Amino acid sequence: MISADDLRRAVQYADPRLSRFDPLPRIICFDDFDRGFCGWTQLVGNYEHTLDAMLPGYAQHTQSMLSTLPAWDFGSHGSADGSYALKVAAKAYKGAQNVSIKRLTFRKRGPIRIEFYFTFKPEANELRLSETDVRSIGFLYDLQTGDKDADAWRVMPHLRFLNALDGQHLQKWQFKRKTTPFRSLGTENKTVTHYHLSPEDWEDIPGGEQRLCYNEIPTKVNWHYGCFDFDLETMQATGFRCNDRVFDLSGYEPIRIQGMRNLWCMLNFAFFVESDTDKRSFLYLDSVCVSGDF
Amino acid sequence: MVPESQAAVVARNETWTGQAATEPYEAGWAREAVIFVRALKASGAAGRAHVELSPDGMNWVAEGTTFPLPTDSNKVTFARVTQFGTWLRIRAELPQGSSVTVVVTIHVKA
Repeated sequence: MISADDLRRAVQYADPRLSRFDPLPRIICFDDFDRGFCGWTQLVGNYEHTLDAMLPGYAQHTQSMLSTLPAWDFGSHGSADGSYALKVAAKAYKGAQNVSIKRLTFRKRGPIRIEFYFTFKPEANELRLSETDVRSIGFLYDLQTGDKDADAWRVMPHLRFLNALDGQHLQKWQFKRKTTPFRSLGTENKTVTHYHLSPEDWEDIPGGEQRLCYNEIPTKVNWHYGCFDFDLETMQATGFRCNDRVFDLSGYEPIRIQGMRNLWCMLNFAFFVESDTDKRSFLYLDSVCVSGDF
Repeated sequence: MVPESQAAVVARNETWTGQAATEPYEAGWAREAVIFVRALKASGAAGRAHVELSPDGMNWVAEGTTFPLPTDSNKVTFARVTQFGTWLRIRAELPQGSSVTVVVTIHVKA
């Protein structure tokens, strides 16, 4: 007698699209960017009455793109299993950021997993290795408990790979548990903002140093695997893997703030990239698989 | 599957004077594009927008299409482009003393 779990796994392993993922029993979304944008869009900042109210950190954001990773010296690189990847591009100044986001809600507070194949590079406008030009790439959830739950929290787990800072090649994973104070926007007492991706308050994950495969010139890329586990019941991270490394998240904390009046059951995923020099930085996602145990 | 289509805001609430350009927009999958410029605020004489192409997203060349920038708030101007390769942007030129605060959207279709 084959168990349902074994059968599910056998079907998944036999499917070349899913075989390179380790999803939990239910797939919430499987976004292969050869199929299009799959609901990933620009993170726009909050505002009321005027766009001038938007915090500068958000005002700099632009729309993500479908990219073949075209290089000036050899042409399109292509993605891990096709032509296209989602491209998030930070502008050409030190500290610039950009974010791509997908917005869902959840059905059950239980374990969820996000897996993704990613790579990053600076704009190849110099004939130099340029390995310290991208400051970081990262991921965050934006979550909120259900409207009838006993607790009312907005929870924002953040994780970034700090590649370089001020030219220092640091190559380590970090998290943050603090955001900036909330600020009211406009006059209707309905809209607020905060800057959770501010450069302050990132903390090292113990043992979080990792040397990734950057390759040998600024146009060649290699794809990497990431997997982050989170429990919506306890609102705690439960695991993180990148390629062959498993990281200890026992000291990890998400940003945790008071629940907000119109975000119940929110399940947002976002990826971001930051520049460390006055050069554009690009994060590429080949595919993203989000799964849950429900 | 219906053909891919995307509306991308490539500049939002940016105030342009003198020379300006939008960020490189990569859309090698798209066969056609319409680029809209909407003015949130404007003052002075009209500037012009020039559609530009690029082999690599770094070196730019005029595509040949030009169109006026809007001169009143909420006025919209646009250009249609086909066969643009992989990269698109618009470059803007404004006369001395003119400015325009814009929302620029690129609408691309496979």
